[in-house]
Amino acid sequence: MTSHYDWRGGREAMMRFGLADAPVVVIAPPPFEEANRLRALMATVARGLARQGLAAVIPDLPGTGESLTDIAATRLADWRDAFAAANEAAGPVRLIASVRAGALFDGGQGAVGHWRLTPQDGSRLLRELVRTRIAGLREDGREASSATLTEIARNDGIELSGHWFTPALFGDLEEAAPLPAHPLRTVRLDGDAQPADHRLAAAPLWRRAEPGNDLELAQLVADDIADWMRTCLGG
Amino acid sequence: MLPEGSEEVEDAVRSVLRDVLGISQERVDAFAATTPLFGALPELDSMAVAGVLTELEDRLGIIIEDDEVDGEMLETFGALSRFAMAKALG
Repeated sequence: MTSHYDWRGGREAMMRFGLADAPVVVIAPPPFEEANRLRALMATVARGLARQGLAAVIPDLPGTGESLTDIAATRLADWRDAFAAANEAAGPVRLIASVRAGALFDGGQGAVGHWRLTPQDGSRLLRELVRTRIAGLREDGREASSATLTEIARNDGIELSGHWFTPALFGDLEEAAPLPAHPLRTVRLDGDAQPADHRLAAAPLWRRAEPGNDLELAQLVADDIADWMRTCLGG
Repeated sequence: MLPEGSEEVEDAVRSVLRDVLGISQERVDAFAATTPLFGALPELDSMAVAGVLTELEDRLGIIIEDDEVDGEMLETFGALSRFAMAKALG
């Protein structure tokens, strides 16, 4: 069901799953293109958590989804503040779970623990978006380098995968790293070279051009988050 | 966790093509050095190339520069694997 949360910039929507008084997993989904690619997966994960007796919320961020906030006026600090407000509004006992670049704004007071799936920093996120833009230009018979596009983005702003990045937002993301979090469990997929606490045998759905779902991955994710919630709650 | 041998790198290239392009294990298992890729695999359009390169970077712990990406490197499975090996194993 749809509920809302208030933050300093206004009111945003929040999808809610599971019982009202259950411990709640506050999900920070990835922004931009991967938000579309993983929307169905996120909802399946949330329903999987509800089946395990937990609740889950997926907040809309300012300037994304149904939000009335203008993306052109949005900064990373807005997402961080909005997510922190959503976290506090979600319920008394909460765990924060973020996916991909959701780790750039998945902070908040009072969570019993943090869980991340394949976190990435802001420069990596931009690199992928810029690379996709270069591929698109090449299809139109035009050439551009990432250095040129980055320069344009820093000075004038740029559209990447259908989203407008102001120089301010682009600059925020160039510098952004996952927020400090404790206790933290970092989960990655098999084959990912970076360090992780646990690895899931699954393919990176966020790379697939066609929006889709992966029920097995959703189950693995929901089970691991539920286990981590129990560990953090001391049982 | 990084691949240490040429076979491991080739396996990584195979699984990246499988996962990013959404093609079956059976099909990628049949890829030989001479199997043509770009221009021959309908799933591998320019956008998908971006995903393949980025996923290769993640799995092999490498950085691929703009000027290293050309038609030759993506022409066959063998060419892409050789490129990945040179990057990953030095």
